[in-house]
Parts: sequence; structure tokens; C-alpha cells
Amino acid sequence: MKAGHRLVLFAASALGIAWVYCAGALNMPAWGQYRGPYGDAIAHLAVYQRHATDTVNAVTYDYRGFDTLGEEFILFSAVTGVMLLLRPEPGRPEAKKGKSSGNPASFRDRATLSETVQVFTTAIFGFSVIFGIYMATHGQLTPGGGFQGGVILAAAPMLLYIAENTDAFRRIVSHPLVEFLEGTGAAGYALIGVAGLAMGTAFLTNVIPLGTTGDVFSSGTIAAISACVGVEVAAGFTLVIFEYLREILSREKNEEP
Amino acid sequence: MPSPALLVAVPLIVAALLGALRRLIPRWTADLLSILTAAGNLTMACWWTAHALHRTQVYWFGGWFPRGRMVLGIGFTMDGYGCALAALAALLTTLALIYSWKHFESGGGHFHPLMLVFLAAMSGFAVSGDLFNLFVFFELMSTAAFALCGLKTHEPAPLAGAFNFAVTNSVAAFLMLTGIAFLYSATGALNLAQLGQALAGRHDRLVLAAFVFLTTGFLVKAAEFPFHFWLPDAHAVSPTPVCVLFSGIMVQLGLFGAMRLYATVFQGCFAGTRIPWIFVVIGAATALWGAMMCFAEHHLKRLLAFSTISHTGLMTLAFGLWSKAALAGLFIYLVGHGLVKAGLFFCAGILLHRFETMSEPALFRRGRALHWTAPLWFLGGLGLAGAPGFALAIAEAHVTPVAPWTEAIFFIAGTLTGAAVLRVGLRVFIGLGDAGPVDRSATVDEKPETNDPGRLVNTVLYFPALACIGGCMVLGFWNGIAGIARASAASFVNFSGYVHMVYAGATVVAQPAPVQSALLKGVLWAGLRGVAAAAVALWAVLHLRIPRPLRWPSHLEGSMRPVRELQSGHPGDYVAWLTLGCALLGAAVFWLAL
Amino acid sequence: MSFPADYPYFVAAWILLCGLYGIVRSRHLVHMVISLTVVQSSTYVLLLAIGFRRAAYAPVFAGLPVGARVVDPIVQALMLTDVVVETTVVALLLAMVVKAHEKGGTTSPDDLRFLRG
Repeated sequence: MKAGHRLVLFAASALGIAWVYCAGALNMPAWGQYRGPYGDAIAHLAVYQRHATDTVNAVTYDYRGFDTLGEEFILFSAVTGVMLLLRPEPGRPEAKKGKSSGNPASFRDRATLSETVQVFTTAIFGFSVIFGIYMATHGQLTPGGGFQGGVILAAAPMLLYIAENTDAFRRIVSHPLVEFLEGTGAAGYALIGVAGLAMGTAFLTNVIPLGTTGDVFSSGTIAAISACVGVEVAAGFTLVIFEYLREILSREKNEEP
Repeated sequence: MPSPALLVAVPLIVAALLGALRRLIPRWTADLLSILTAAGNLTMACWWTAHALHRTQVYWFGGWFPRGRMVLGIGFTMDGYGCALAALAALLTTLALIYSWKHFESGGGHFHPLMLVFLAAMSGFAVSGDLFNLFVFFELMSTAAFALCGLKTHEPAPLAGAFNFAVTNSVAAFLMLTGIAFLYSATGALNLAQLGQALAGRHDRLVLAAFVFLTTGFLVKAAEFPFHFWLPDAHAVSPTPVCVLFSGIMVQLGLFGAMRLYATVFQGCFAGTRIPWIFVVIGAATALWGAMMCFAEHHLKRLLAFSTISHTGLMTLAFGLWSKAALAGLFIYLVGHGLVKAGLFFCAGILLHRFETMSEPALFRRGRALHWTAPLWFLGGLGLAGAPGFALAIAEAHVTPVAPWTEAIFFIAGTLTGAAVLRVGLRVFIGLGDAGPVDRSATVDEKPETNDPGRLVNTVLYFPALACIGGCMVLGFWNGIAGIARASAASFVNFSGYVHMVYAGATVVAQPAPVQSALLKGVLWAGLRGVAAAAVALWAVLHLRIPRPLRWPSHLEGSMRPVRELQSGHPGDYVAWLTLGCALLGAAVFWLAL
Repeated sequence: MSFPADYPYFVAAWILLCGLYGIVRSRHLVHMVISLTVVQSSTYVLLLAIGFRRAAYAPVFAGLPVGARVVDPIVQALMLTDVVVETTVVALLLAMVVKAHEKGGTTSPDDLRFLRG
């Protein structure tokens, strides 16, 4: 189809979709007047039933924990898909590990980064790791949780890349343990669920002692699942970064004369 | 009693462990573990199907039982239709994994985890009783499918096909989420039973808008016209085991999602309106369009993809008739079509493995040495046409008495799709006539998918094809299937029974009275379809011996250039058609219900 | 119930249409993937707008008494996992684009005509 025809087709259809959407939106409850019983019921119940002060994470990892298991595996299959698509092909020279293929930033201009920036960025790396772990383990108390903490943890090695500390970056990101952690994090969530089955209750029942509200070790399986998810998300994002980096580097190697 | 959670949990755990230990596990262990997991799912799902014929049961995750009328957690509703589809998914996955034993290129060990995740997602989707949970499993199914579709990375075509698939289905998922948001704002609930009760009798625009977006999302997955453009592209480039799952069960699960949604959430709102006619119209249009395009194709996998589109259109038509007999026929059709289509794809995979091409002209006469595969292919073609002895004929005999004019649509679609397959069989396996017209799309993606192409076909490649075609024929002669279908259809339509199951834990299924079906008339139509398919195939193949004005199959086969140009391969085009379809659906719904 | 007061819902509609427009008119595959994320953002805006309640606190009871008026935690739970997960799905789509560029030499959807039928 020519681009012009496609635009006309889309314009007509978009009017239709806009009309349907607005017709629906005009009939919705007024904005700011949330009435629904589901949210209010959970907000009243979560602290007493699960000793978790962050009701959003109580919903994510307990009341609707089965949905989150599915979502975690969407992440797992997307990461596996990236590894599948960007896998090294037999017969193509791969980027060698170590110093010989040089600095991945070498395709940028050769101006070196100032030492101040390098020192500070490396220091922030340590802080990021601690902050990520803090987020992942405190999800049941305050906003945060496994997904958010995992992303922060995965972004931390990028600071090393920006600081041009590429050896450390590559060592962290290409370690075979990362893939193992990703798989075990994903399996860990489902195995915590199976623990509920083993104790005679339903899948994903909260079977760990609930502890005191406000304590880090509270809310039973919510904290445990959050930690597993944090590990899996961090490892998953690190794998994606590594796969893309390897793809770029092998492309660079092929383009060198 | 196996826990329903295991249907989803076990494949996911095994997939995660296979992914974690990918570099340590040898190929045979990964193969064996995956096959055993899928076979375990099959056993559990069959057990649950048998159980669901007497009692349908709900399973609450996390032990969150409803509080009064409000549902707090997520539930699985183990009813006949859902458990049977989960069983079909497990059966086809097991056969696909057997097919890919050892010699199939496994993409660095990533193939098996993705297949198991795909199986878990399909099983969960079939039995879920919560709207957002359906969405999550829809996304999980889609993501695993996108990755599996792009497995063959040697050429750009698989990546283009996977990209078109991904963009179209992602847009569909976001439209579905919009619909879910609308329903949530209307009722504050996410459980299907609770939603159905809360919306009963409401016709207002919010409900209609939600219905439009949700149904669009599911119909894109079901590859209905005009949302179907992604399917032939995805099939042309996917590896054979993946094509089997796409055409055998994934597309039909998209339709099942729309069905489940209508039967639980919207049944109370739209009772007495003419909204089911929308499904009839879409189904009929899809069936005829798909059949026409199927006959015009010369790439085997694309041809089979269009026949899937056509038959799923017939299933949508059967659903739109909204009667227990039609739904019973639809049940048999789902299972029978899944088996026949899987068998045909396995045979196509054998051809690809031996001759490294999927183009009908290039395969002309080369299949004459495949003495065992040829009968399966011809039986598959007859099965698609709905010839007597196959499950599809039984299914059509249930559906067409409800509305006799639908027999014409079933006849045309069945004949054209069956004739296309038989035509390919006559050219490739017997060598009648000439090689046929060459077209551009027939040469897409000819790289082999096994490590040692050209090697003689062995048991691992042949057994799944035999099992599928044989299974479809066994179903055609087994009397028990009609009883299972009727019981499942009765509990599917019975919304008050569904609500009772969700809130009280279980419902006893009333055993339906045996129906006196017009057996002789069904067999006659089936025989007529089989004969017509064979005749059209011969007519197309022997076109040189027929006077030019009477050569209509060859015209259908060779021309249709402007129509075929619509399959442009451009994702922007496909999304434009998607928006058109959504707008037209919206117009139809608002016109019929207000 | 009226247009000016309920503007977030219409903002969500507008974002959806912008994203779809971007996909349909795109001339670069990466641009198409990013337009897809724009479509996704519209669903987030819609969900959060539905769960909003005026003069209410966040549903975190650390330091807040349990009966206090809070916004809806369910919609937040529905979308927070989605945000992270869809990022990896976008990574998957971009991997397809990268490979298609490597094998086919182009990133324009007009040139990716390998599957014309």
C-alpha cells in the first residue's frame, strides 16, 4: 500500500477509535472519584492479613501473586528471546574477551574522560548496588520491591561502562553466573509457590511466618518472592546488556579492515 | 487430584531450570525433560477434562477465597472447554518436542525453555477465570511466540516475519488492556464471574467500548479478517514445531478468549441483542477470504497458514450462532482441526528437511520417494475438506443443522482449503500435470531447520505426523467425543452454573440429553465435500487438458495480484488494517446494541 | 462526567492515537518500536487515572493509620510489573531490528519486503 493510502485509511479508522474511546470515557466515573470496592477492601485488609504496610506490593506478590509470576516469566522469555536472536553464529569471528579488542568506547572520539568523573562514577556504583539491594528487600514496607530494585542493580554496571572501567564492566556482565542466577530467580518464585502446595494449601499461599508489621523480615513470602524477583530482574537486564554489547563488538570486529 | 496450579507451575519451573543450566545440560537431557514435562501436562489436563464432565471446579491461588460477593484473588475455572484446550496444547507441544529431538537446531539451547513457557502460558490461558490473568497469559504466550518465530536468524525474512507478528500482537494486547481498564472502572472487579454479574443488563457506552477493545485484542490473536495479515508472514518463516503450535492451538486460543469473555462477562448485557451476529459476519468473511487466499498460495507453509485463517473463521461463525449444538460442534472442530493442521505442518516439515524448500513449483515430483508421508498428506487434505471419517465432518454435522445456510460457507471453505492441500499433494507426491505458476512469495526462507538436512526421514520426524492424522481419524469414529462436546458446551453457556462454581467452589454438570443428529445427511454433505475437494484439485492440476474458459481453479491460483498485494509485509500496513477493523467493529457494536 | 474535569482519560486517548499514528507512518523500525511504547504509555495513564482519588494518600501505611483515605492500590499493582516487563519485550523487538539490519542491510519498513505475498 502506498504511504498516502495508508494514511487515509488510518485517519478514517482513528476517528472511529477515538469516537469509541471517548464514548466510553465520558461514561466513566468522574476522575478523582474512585469508588471501586476491590481497592478499598485490600487497603483495609492487607496490613492485618499480611503485616505488609505497602499494599501495592501486597497485591503484587500475594493477593494477585499468580499474575506477577506470569509477568516475571514474560521477562524471562523476552531475555531468552534476546539471547536466542543475538546468539553467536558458527563461523563468525567473535569479539575476544580481554583487552585486545580494545575499549568499547573506542569507536567514540578519543577524548578521555576526566579523572574526577571517573572517580565519582565508580563511587556511585557502590552506592547504586546498595540502593538496589535496599529497594528489593524493603518492598513490603515502602514503595519498591523486586522489579524496581532489580532494575537499579542491573543499571549499576552501566556506570562502570560510562566511567570507562571496561574491564570490570565486562567481567561483571559476561560472567556465566548471571545466566544461572536469572534461571534460579525465576524458578525460585514458582518453587515458593510449590512450597504452599507441599504444605497442603493452595499454590502461592503465604506459608512463611508473617513477623511484625514494619520489620524488614515481615509479611512472609512477599519478602522472599520480592528478593527472588530482584535477583531475576537484575540478572535478566544484565544479560540483555551483555548480548547487545557483544553484538556491537562483533560488528565492530567484522568492520575492521 | 492433581493441583491445577501444576499445569502452569511445572513447565515454568522446568523452563527456568533448563535456562539456568543451559550450558551444562547435554542436548538429550533437555529434550527428554521437556518431553516428559509436556507429557505430564497432557496427563493432568486429560484428568481434569474427565473430571470436568461431571463437576466443574474453581481453584483459588494463594488461598484467597471470595469475601461475600467480592473476589479477592485469582481463580482457575476447570471446566470442560478450558481443560480440553489445555490438553490439546499439551498434546501438540509433546509431539512438537518429539519432532525436534536431537537434530533440530535448538538456537543455542534456548528453544526448549521457550517451548515450555509457551505451553504453560497456553494452559493457563485456557482455564483462567480472571480477566487480568487472561491478559498476562496472553502476553506470555505472545512473548514466547515472538522469540520462537525469530529462531532462524540466518536470513532477514524470519526477522521481518517475527517483527510484523510482534508489532501487531503487541498493539492488540494494549487495546485489550484498555478494555480491561474500562471494565475495571465500571465495576471495580477483575474476576469474570463477578464482572458478569455486575454488568448484567447494562448497555451503556462504557460497556460497549470495553467490549470493542477487548474483542479486537482477542480477534487479532485469532487472525480474523482484517486482523489476520500477520499470520501468513509468521508461519512462512517459523520453524516447523512452532508453526504446529501456532496453527494448532495458539490462534484458536485467541478465539477462545473472545468466546470466554462473551459467555461470562457480556452474556448478561447482550442477551437478546444481535451482537452475536458480528461473530457470524466476521467468521464468514474470514472463512471465505482465507480459503481464496489459501488456494492462490504456492508456499506450503503460507498455504497452510491461510487454511488456518479460513478454518478459524468457520469456528467463529459456529460460535456466533450461539447455541449449545453449535458450541458442541465447535468443540469437536477445535480438537479435530488442531490435529489435522498439526499433521499437515509436520509433513511440510518433513519436506523441508528432505528437500530444503517449501515452494510448490520447486518441489514438483520430488516427493515421489516419500511413500509414507504421501498418504498422510492426502488424508490431511481430505480431513480439512471435512470428508467422512474425520472429526471435522462430525463437527460440521453438529453445527450446520442450527442454521442451514452456513452449510454453504463450510462447503466453500472446506472444499477450497482441502483442494489446495490435495493439489500440492498431486503435484509433489505424484507428479501429475505441471509444476504450476511461480510467484515471489513461494521462495521465502529456504534454509533448513535441522542439523543434517537431506538425511532420510526417521521415526522422530514421522511419528508426530502419523499421530496427528491418525488421531483426527480416530476422533472421527469415536462415539464418546460427541458426549464430551455436548457436556462441555452446556457448562460453557450456563452462566449461572459458572457463577455458582466460582462462589460455592464447584458445580455439578447436568448431563445433556443425547441428541438425535441427522447422521445420514451429515455423511452425505461430508462425502460431497471430499469429492468436491478432490475434483477441484484435479481440475487445477490438469488445467492444460481443460478448455481455457473452464479453467477457473487456475485463475484463482494464478491471479489475484491486487488482493495478494495487500499482504505487503509492511507492519505499518498491518496496523492500519487493525485500526480499520477496530473502528468497524466499534461501529457495528454501537449500531446493534444501542 | 464532563470533558474538562475528566481530561486525563482524553489525554490517554490522545496518546494512544499518537502512538498508532507513529507506527503507521514510521519510516524506521526503531521509531516504530518506540511508537509501540507510546501506545503502551496510554494504558498506564488510563489505569492510573481510573484509580485516582482526590485528597487521598498513597496506599502505603508506613506511618499512616490504617483507615486513612488512599488511592487504589490494585491499578498500581497491575501496571508496575508491566512497566519493567515491557522494557524487556522492547529489547526483544529491538534485537529483531538489529538482526534484520545486519542480514538485510536496511532499517526501513518499506525495504523489508521479503514477505510480500
